[in-house]
Amino acid sequence: MKTGFFKQYSKQLIAAAVILVICIVLAILKPAKDELMSHTSPEMQKMIEADESSSRKRVTVTYNDLFIINYASLSTSGAKVMSEKYVGFVGKVYPADEGVMKVTGQMVNYTYRMLGCGENLMHGAKLTILLTTLTVIFGVVLGTILALAKISKKKWLSGLASAYIFFFRGTPLLIQLFVVYFTVPGVCGFAWRDIFSASDAEAVYKGAFTAALIAFGLNSGAYCAEIVRSAIQSIDKGQFEAAKALGMNYFQTMTRIIIPQSVRRMIPNVSNEFIMVLKDASLVFAISLMDITTISKNIMTSEGSYLVFIPALVIYLVITAFFGFIFDKIEKKFSVYE
Amino acid sequence: MSDNYEYILKTEHVSKRFGTLEVLKDINLQVKKGEVICIIGPSGAGKSTFLRSLNQLEKITSGKIFIKDELFLHRENDHTVDRLLREKQQELLLEMGMVFQRFNLFPHKTVLQNVCEAPVIVRKENKDEVEKRARDLLEKVGLSEKADEYPSRLSGGQQQRVAIARALAMNPEIMLFDEPTSALDPELVGDVLQVMKELAESGMTMLCVTHEMGFAREVADRVLFMADGIIAEEGTPEEIFTNPQAERTKNFLNAILEA
Amino acid sequence: MKKRFMALMCASIATLGLVACTSETGSGTVPETTETEAAETDSTEATEAEGMETEETDVQEAPASAIDLSGVTLKSDGVLSVGCEVGYPPFEDFADDGTTPIGYDIDIITAVADKLGLEVNIINTAWDGIFAGIDVNYDVVCSAVTITPERQETMLFSTPYINNYQSVVLLADDDKTISSFNDLDGMTIALQKETTSDILMSDYKSTGTIDIQIVANEKVTSCFTQLQNGEVDAVVVDSTVADGYINSSDDFVIAYKDTAEAEQFGIAMGKENAALQAAINQALAELEEEGYIQETYDYWFGAAAE
Repeated sequence: MKTGFFKQYSKQLIAAAVILVICIVLAILKPAKDELMSHTSPEMQKMIEADESSSRKRVTVTYNDLFIINYASLSTSGAKVMSEKYVGFVGKVYPADEGVMKVTGQMVNYTYRMLGCGENLMHGAKLTILLTTLTVIFGVVLGTILALAKISKKKWLSGLASAYIFFFRGTPLLIQLFVVYFTVPGVCGFAWRDIFSASDAEAVYKGAFTAALIAFGLNSGAYCAEIVRSAIQSIDKGQFEAAKALGMNYFQTMTRIIIPQSVRRMIPNVSNEFIMVLKDASLVFAISLMDITTISKNIMTSEGSYLVFIPALVIYLVITAFFGFIFDKIEKKFSVYE
Repeated sequence: MSDNYEYILKTEHVSKRFGTLEVLKDINLQVKKGEVICIIGPSGAGKSTFLRSLNQLEKITSGKIFIKDELFLHRENDHTVDRLLREKQQELLLEMGMVFQRFNLFPHKTVLQNVCEAPVIVRKENKDEVEKRARDLLEKVGLSEKADEYPSRLSGGQQQRVAIARALAMNPEIMLFDEPTSALDPELVGDVLQVMKELAESGMTMLCVTHEMGFAREVADRVLFMADGIIAEEGTPEEIFTNPQAERTKNFLNAILEA
Repeated sequence: MKKRFMALMCASIATLGLVACTSETGSGTVPETTETEAAETDSTEATEAEGMETEETDVQEAPASAIDLSGVTLKSDGVLSVGCEVGYPPFEDFADDGTTPIGYDIDIITAVADKLGLEVNIINTAWDGIFAGIDVNYDVVCSAVTITPERQETMLFSTPYINNYQSVVLLADDDKTISSFNDLDGMTIALQKETTSDILMSDYKSTGTIDIQIVANEKVTSCFTQLQNGEVDAVVVDSTVADGYINSSDDFVIAYKDTAEAEQFGIAMGKENAALQAAINQALAELEEEGYIQETYDYWFGAAAE
């Protein structure tokens, strides 16, 4: 199994290893943070020193380390704006106030922010990946339960499942998100952030994330239910009969015989659902979470830079490619018997 | 379970309707332990439906089914009048193994897993013991070297022999065969029939729906000829094949032998 | 290049129907026609409806004579198209019918347009990218826009028509005392994305002055819902908006107003539209003189404001 994997992907693995080695070399050659900071002008140094004893600090120091390249920006607000930017790459520090280096610096900064580096887990690409992955897992589990309910012979049970699916597919996710985050706590008298410890400074984001996960999961469950149902119903009737003839009950038949065979047929559709959720994740802007799309839109409006969309697209493509690979592996694993 | 019974399997007035179509009409049958019964007849006669009714893959419309002289199920007009307790029913159903025309092996499990699945999951037997027994059974059907293959890698005949081993792994007292060789290429039929023959010789009670007249003649204790939902004629192979009484039986056998 | 891209963005946003509502103005009076002549009578109705009677006859007889509109280019003739993020009470909000924009900004810009002898067309637009729509979808933005040096680099502003301070709003039953923004240290605060409040608080955070968790929302209304639900400890918002909320709800109190740093709101327009800037400034000056601006302020911000 293991050797098969290496054999099958030998070219890709070699390419990945080469890229990794190059990156590590570049990372080692990259100038250190202190070196980057040592280039700041005397005026700026003076401002920073003044800040030490001031209760209202004025200098914003940004340091973005993107493994192979780093970027530092120092700026002040107020009537007289001072701003200095530096990019560090392969042992050299470049001023990044103009030209190519300015764009490079911006790219590093935008990518850094969209990846959510230096922020909590509920931010940027981390938020997008976390929310999407958990939503799809939640959705598939819930979808399986709903699908089994829907094909059940018990009228009330299948009716209930149908109503659920109808409701969640027939209303916009954005409104469901609003209802879960604003309406439910408003009516029931609780706050999402109170689920987490009061001393947790990130509780507000965790609370919003929980609400988002619930809304996304409930919604995805409805879509996954149809995926699971059609997969189950595509399994040959003979399988049910064989299981029954061997004395298996419904639960044993489903969990040991039918669902494992359905998994392979679900994968392509679940993979699609994953990509849909990945894009829908940008709706979390409505409950003040920042995913990749929201951050890139913010940068666009606050800095007027349209270049921000290039790293945004690249980040999305990398995520999609990575998870596409994972789904491919799962599908292969489940179709080994064919 | 008491072994003190007259008939291992008995049906009284069993009938089955699909909508307005009457598939089985008043079927009465008694089977003694160790008997091998072959059911022959034209397609659409209700042979398979009858077999499937016995192990509850089809619900009968009316009639009584007895297993080991106990009233297993009594239905009238699609309503259950009387039946054994569920657990008891389940227990008795496990006494019946079934082999399907299209094998119905579990494609996502290896040959060995197919055979071991039910004893471990349903009977909660010890895994190692079951595996040992499964390997013995696979040896018996001549497939011990295929234990770790997936069904898709086997020929139809091999798959059907695995299916037989799978049914036997539950230690049934009755084996139901639903046209076990009909989906096979002619050259693969022999191996399957050989296994069935050995099984019959070992004293297994068997009900076979089949088109293999040679097999029926050689192995069966009794042959039933079914047509239009009734048992048109029954008797020893000798009686049915050399001296059929009913006109329908004669026509059927002529058609088969000419082909 | 940048401009063209933004224009494209805005155009696509507009076609997508994100500009939810394009409403004619005039306190509910719907103009029958878009011709300039009709606008005169319309303006009369509009101002009358608002109870403004000063020098009415002058305006009616020579509607555009007092203010020179030559050299002013508008998106459509005789109409002042106004970009506005409706949903920031009391500056701009929808009336109870849910479609008519009302508010302080709406009254001001309507009166300015009257002075210029123009009709007003309020174009509801998202705050994100609102400035990119200038000269694309509308002539000016009148949407509680703070005049900042950064913004002045890319667009022109009218003279300020209101003073505003950054303020901190707490729940009424909260006994915390806030005497400066530094007292927010350790709190979780809500504010509207890309507003002066956002820029200010982000600066407090990024410089390391205080450690706060910022929850940035698309709409200011979300901030107050979050405060009410207990998701956040405080809202940082324009004092004018806070005044409006305090006026209409007992749940909130203004804990702090940063009176040291006044912000001024102006009407924003394109860099090339100096003629329009001059005309609008003249109209604002006349309205100030007539007392209309103070009157409107009192009407919308009430006794809570000083």
